Formats: sequence, C-alpha cells, structure tokens
Amino acid sequence: MTHKLTQGDQVLHVDTLARVEGEGAMHVVVSDGLVTDVELRIFEPPRFFEAFLRGRAWTEPPDITARICGICPVAYQMSSCLAIEEACGVTIPDELRLLRRLLYCGEWIESHALHVYLLHAPDFLGYPGAIEMAAERGDLVERGLRLKKAGNALMTVVGGRSVHPINVRVGGFYRLPTRHELNGLRPALERALEDAVETVRLVAGFDFPDMRQPHEYVALRSDHGYPLESGSVVTSTGRAFGVADLATHVVEEHVARSNALHARLDGVTPYVVGPLARYTLNHDRLSPLAQEAARDAGLGVECRNPFQSIVVRAVELVDATVEALRIIEGWDGASAPSVDVPPRAGVGHGATEAPRGLLYHRYELAEDGTILDAKIVPPTSQNQPSIEADLRAFVQERLDLPRDELIRQCEQAIRNYDPCISCATHFLDLTVEER
Amino acid sequence: MRVRALVIGLGNPERGDDAVGRHVARLVAAQHVDVRVIELDDPSEALEAWGTADTVVVTDAVTSDGDPGEIRVVDATARTLLAGSWASRGTHAFGLAAVVELARALGQLPRRLLLVGVEAKRFDHGTSMSDAVAAAVPAAAAAVLAAIENEGEDA
Repeated sequence: MTHKLTQGDQVLHVDTLARVEGEGAMHVVVSDGLVTDVELRIFEPPRFFEAFLRGRAWTEPPDITARICGICPVAYQMSSCLAIEEACGVTIPDELRLLRRLLYCGEWIESHALHVYLLHAPDFLGYPGAIEMAAERGDLVERGLRLKKAGNALMTVVGGRSVHPINVRVGGFYRLPTRHELNGLRPALERALEDAVETVRLVAGFDFPDMRQPHEYVALRSDHGYPLESGSVVTSTGRAFGVADLATHVVEEHVARSNALHARLDGVTPYVVGPLARYTLNHDRLSPLAQEAARDAGLGVECRNPFQSIVVRAVELVDATVEALRIIEGWDGASAPSVDVPPRAGVGHGATEAPRGLLYHRYELAEDGTILDAKIVPPTSQNQPSIEADLRAFVQERLDLPRDELIRQCEQAIRNYDPCISCATHFLDLTVEER
Repeated sequence: MRVRALVIGLGNPERGDDAVGRHVARLVAAQHVDVRVIELDDPSEALEAWGTADTVVVTDAVTSDGDPGEIRVVDATARTLLAGSWASRGTHAFGLAAVVELARALGQLPRRLLLVGVEAKRFDHGTSMSDAVAAAVPAAAAAVLAAIENEGEDA
C-alpha cells in the first residue's frame, strides 16, 4: 500500500487490492464531505471470447469457455452445455443432470473454501492475509485447505481434473465415473461435511458491520433443490421468468472506465446475483442440515448484509457437501455417458448458478452447428452497479475514519462480493480522491 | 527405480509466456525418467501436489526487471519469497509466492524446494510463447536438473 499526496488534492492509492481475483481499481471521489462518485475500474483488455466463439463448432464452447475462469470453469461448461442443448432441442436424461450437479458441488466446495478461509476470514480475524493467519491459526487454514482438497477430489473423479475439467461435453460426459471411484470420495466428503458445519459455527461468530442491500435479488429456482445446474429465474420483487427471457430483461451497457459491461435489470434497476440472492430466494430449498446450520448461525429467511455473505457461503458449503454425498449414495449409473446432440439452426439459452452467482450463455447456431453468435453474462458484471452503489453508502458513513482504516474496510467490503474479475475481466487498485 | 525429485510445471497454457513452466517440465520429463513431473494451472494445488516429497522443483514464468528468457533459480527453503516476482497471473487466485509462504507458515515445505523461473513478458490470452522465452526452455530444463543434483551447494 502506498500513499501519494499530490498538489492540493488528496489522493490515497492502494497498489493492488490483495485477495481479490484478478487486478483492477476502485476510485472514490469526495467533494465537501460527500461521496460523489464510486467507480470500479477494470483494466484487463476486454475478452474476445464471445467473438472468437463465432465460427466455431457447437461442440466446442464447454472447453473454450471453461478457460475464462480458473475458479469457476464448471459454471461456464454447464451454462454453455444447457444453452447449446436447448438450441438443438435436446434435454439430457436425469441421471446425467445429477452427475452435472455432483461436479458442480465440487466446484462450489473448492471455490467457497478458498474464499472463506484464504481470502475473507483474515479480514474478520484481523490478519493482513492467509499467510499471517496460518502462523497463528494454522488449524483454520488447514481446515480450509482440507475442504478445498475434497472439492478438488470430486472435480477430478467426475470432471477428469480439478481445474478446467476435460470430461464435460455437450450432451453429458465423455466417461462415467465408476461406483468404486465415487465411493472412494466418501471419506473425504464426510470429513468435509464436519468441516463445513464447523465453518458455519466459526464465521457466525465474526463481527459484522451493519449494512443492508436495498437491491433486487436475482437467482435461479429449481425443483431439484438449491439451485446449481438448472432452474428458471426468480427475483425478490416477485418477478419470475424463463432463462430464455433473461436477454430481454438484462440490459448491458458499456461504461467508459471499465472493460466489463455493466448489467441492469430492464435497463434501470441495479440487481444482485450470488450467495445472498440465492439464499434469500431459495432458503427453503436447502437441505435440512444446511437449514439447521443457517438457523444456528442466526440467519433468518433472508440475508441482505453483504458482510454476512461469508456465513451464507459457509451454509452453501454444508449444502454442497450434503448434496454430493446424497448423489453418490443414490447413484445408480447411467445408460450412456452422453446423449447425441445433433446440430440444427436455432437459438439456445442456458443459466446456472456459479459460486459467485447466475451465469448466462446464449448461442445462435447455423444448421450445421456453426456458432453464429455468442453472448456470455458473468456474475461480476451483473453485480457491479450494485457493488458501486453499496460502496458509495459504505464510504459515506466512514469518511471520518483514518485513511488506512478506511481503505482496509473498503477492501474488506469489496471482498464481500467475492468478485471474480477474471470472469468480468480484471480488478483492483483503490484511490480515494478529495476535491 | 528411485524417483529423485518432483518437478511441477506451473502456468496457463493459453496465456503466452505463462506456459513456459509447463514446457520446461515436459522437457525434463522427456529426458529423465527418474524425475516425477506434473503440470498445474493453479499454484494453490502445488501445496497438495508436493505432499511428502523430499525434493521439489517448481518451474514457472517470472516477471522482474530482467530480459525475456532470463533464468532465475531460487532456493525457497532458504529464503522468503517476495510476492512481486512470483505473483499470480490471470485467473490464479493464489500466486506461487503466497503458496510457498503459506506452506512455510504451516510447516509443510518439502526438505528442498527450488524454483526455476523464466523471465516472461507476454501474457495475452490465446497467444503462444514469445521467441525469447521459448528459446530458453532447454536451458531452464538444464537448470532444473542442476538444481536437483546440486544438493549441498544450495546453502
């Protein structure tokens, strides 16, 4: 962290905002004691994934889009498969949907364990980072790594490897895991369940600053349990629509300072996707054990404090682990690892719940399966306008803090959203400018 | 056959010079059967991968002030790593320096941990390695072997 004082104006500058995926900047402008602007600037050159998907075959997006993010590749694979299968008029059998759900549980466990223990808990426990936390609370870091390892193992068995899985294809999988392989995961998952329940207890005891998000919450809702691999869209104001209608409701605008597109619902309302939205809209879909953990942690039927997102992530860790064990327990094999998805001309939409929130894909295919157009709306670009609005209120109430402390708290606040800037291009440097 | 060491090639194969660690590891694997070689995208998995191995060499792209293709060998058991040069690129949540220091804090470093870095410059998505970095792969592979064999000279 460096502080630079320039002539007249005061500018506080943080070189990098540690423990956020990617690289970027936050800029706060204060005039006469009022926060007049908060911007999240995004640096990395725009990604041309949507452009270079054009002209590729309909079978390729799961592998190509998985490369957009090293933390949530399964989300990209699942949303792209759903979209292409819809375009081709194919629905996969339920046992393959369950296997997708199982793979997705692995990604959630991996991603949430990383965020809760290595990126976010140090903020609440007063450590500069996970390394310093490891020196005094090695038990916590080891628990986080153990959870992450259980998620990795699940990804490896179902997905072929723990990062950028190679076993996913349009129509299903290349190879089915054996009963023996799935059973082999049980000891690690049973331990992970104990660890996840302990995680909820730990984070429930943290101190949470008061904050309430006023925004509309958007998440999938599904008959298959807490939403991961399927569902239609619901919102906290009671709107409900199919995934195919997302494109008409979500309007993306380009903002000069940022390489990420900013999304708004119907062009006006900033909205929020991710753990708080999922929990608030699907609390009743959690497994009984996860519901009990949430209750014991003091969560009600909704959670609108972004600082408590760490508690919701921990509850979701419990749910993902319970789900993984349940699917393995009931796994009865599948008749084939995949179904045929012959190409046809058409448009398809797919949405699933990435660890950071709803991830939407849309593809337009030619008759021979060539991709004519592709659209990808990642969670972080959907959340960006609401993050900025939240931070504006947050900073306004804390302007009298010493600068170092203000910056530290802003960093913590931004980590509440677990922004995956690699997906929405990259994140964060922080400047506070007084005029 | 006794496995002399574990070599971990780190990097994203789709991001230009970031792939160099993997190419170095592959060359070592092709030349020496008594070295175990794995490739990883995510440095945080290195901690799990080295497990109880005695001697580990990690090859990765590095960014400091050097010229592209310059090779740097660091004994990570002997000194603290500065995040700047061994920081993460792109989608890596945890850079190599953070992983090594986390392992040190948890008492999980291997007995010998050596890093062989190749100075890199170009990390654009969808590009191949730059010429200078690609040309350095054989020398970096030789540096990996030397690092494994030069026990006693580390200190």
